[in-house]
Amino acid sequence: MEFTLLWAALTAVAAAWLGTRVWRASLPDSPTERIVSSAAAGLLVGRIAEMIGQGINPITNLSDLLIIRGGVSVPAATVAAIGTLWWTSNRDLSVVDSFSAPALVGLAGWHAGCLWRSACLGTVSDLPWALAEPGSTITRHPVELYAAVGLVLASLLVSRIPPKPGLRSAAALGLAALVRLVTEPFRLSVTGGPVFWYVVGLSLALLAGTALVWRQREI
Amino acid sequence: MRKALLALVLLATACGSPQLVGEDRPDLPSITGPQLEAQLAESGRPAVVNVWAAWCAPCRSEAPLLASAAAQHGDEVQFIGIDVQDNQADAKDFIERFGLDFDHYFDRDRVVPEYFGGIGTPITFFFDRSGDLVDTHLGVIDDRTLALGIDEITKR
Repeated sequence: MEFTLLWAALTAVAAAWLGTRVWRASLPDSPTERIVSSAAAGLLVGRIAEMIGQGINPITNLSDLLIIRGGVSVPAATVAAIGTLWWTSNRDLSVVDSFSAPALVGLAGWHAGCLWRSACLGTVSDLPWALAEPGSTITRHPVELYAAVGLVLASLLVSRIPPKPGLRSAAALGLAALVRLVTEPFRLSVTGGPVFWYVVGLSLALLAGTALVWRQREI
Repeated sequence: MRKALLALVLLATACGSPQLVGEDRPDLPSITGPQLEAQLAESGRPAVVNVWAAWCAPCRSEAPLLASAAAQHGDEVQFIGIDVQDNQADAKDFIERFGLDFDHYFDRDRVVPEYFGGIGTPITFFFDRSGDLVDTHLGVIDDRTLALGIDEITKR
C-alpha cells in the first residue's frame, strides 16, 4: 500500500522529464537533476514543517521524516522547491523561468498519480464521467484528474508567455494555485485543505507578475 | 559550529514532547474481534476503527488527523481506537498527547486486526451503519483518503 505513493512520485518525475524533453531548447544543462533536487528539498522542508505543525519533534523523531504519507506542508514545500531551484541556478530568474512549464507538467503527473493510489475521487457527482470506488455505487468527481488536465493546460499557457525574467515563474505559481483553488470544492478533506495558501500563492503571483510587467514598461 | 549545536538543542527542547499526563486515565478495556463486530452492528452508526500503538512512528503522523476527524465527524460517525501490542501506560500517554478523544480498546495480542484481516500498524477500517466492513486502509492514512472513507460509509 505504501509503495503506491512511490509510484505517484515516479509518475511526477516521469512527467517532469517529459516536460524537459518538450521544452529542452530553453533549458540549461542537467534539467532533470535540477528538478529532482528541488523536489527533494521541497519534500524534506515540507515534511519537517508538517511534523512541527503536528507537534512531532523532527530532531528526536528523525525517522518520521520518511513517513511522507503522514503529510507534507504545501506552502513550505513550494517555497523550498522554488528557492532551491533559484539557488542552484546561480540566482538567475530566467533559468527558473525555463523550468516553469516542465514543473507544471510534473505537478500534473503527481495528480495523475492518483490512479496508482486509488485516490482520484472527490465529492459525489452524477456526471457521465463520474467514477465510483471499487465495490461502491456512489459515483464521484475524478477531481485529481481535473487538476492534472488543468496543470497541463497551464503549462502550455506559461510556455507562451514572453521571456521576461520572473514572469513565467510568477505565472506558473499563480496558475498552479488557481488550478488547485478551482478544483478544491470537488475534493473531500477533513482539515479543509490549504485553501488559504492557494489564495496567498495566487495573490503573490499576481503582485509579482504585475510588478515585473510594470518594471519592464518603465525600462 | 557551537552556535549551530546550541540552536539544535534549543529547538529540540522547544519542540520536545509534553510531560506524560495519561496516568490518571482508567485502563483501556479489552475487546475481541467478534465483540467489536457485534457492537458495531448494534450501534447502527458507521464507524472508523483505527489500529494504532504508542511505539508506532507512522501512528504519530496520522494521530492529529484522526483527532481532527473525530472532532469534526464525531456526531455522524463513531471513531474507535484499537491499541495493539502495547502497554497501558504508554497507550494512555499517547491518547492524551494527541487528544484522541474517542473510545479506545486494548488488544495486546492483535486479535482484532487479525479478525478483520489487516497486517501491520497502523490500519484503518471503515464500517457502514450495518456493521459491515466497507474498506481497509493499510499504513498511514492521509487527509483525502480518510475524508473519502468517511463520506462513503455515511452515504451508504
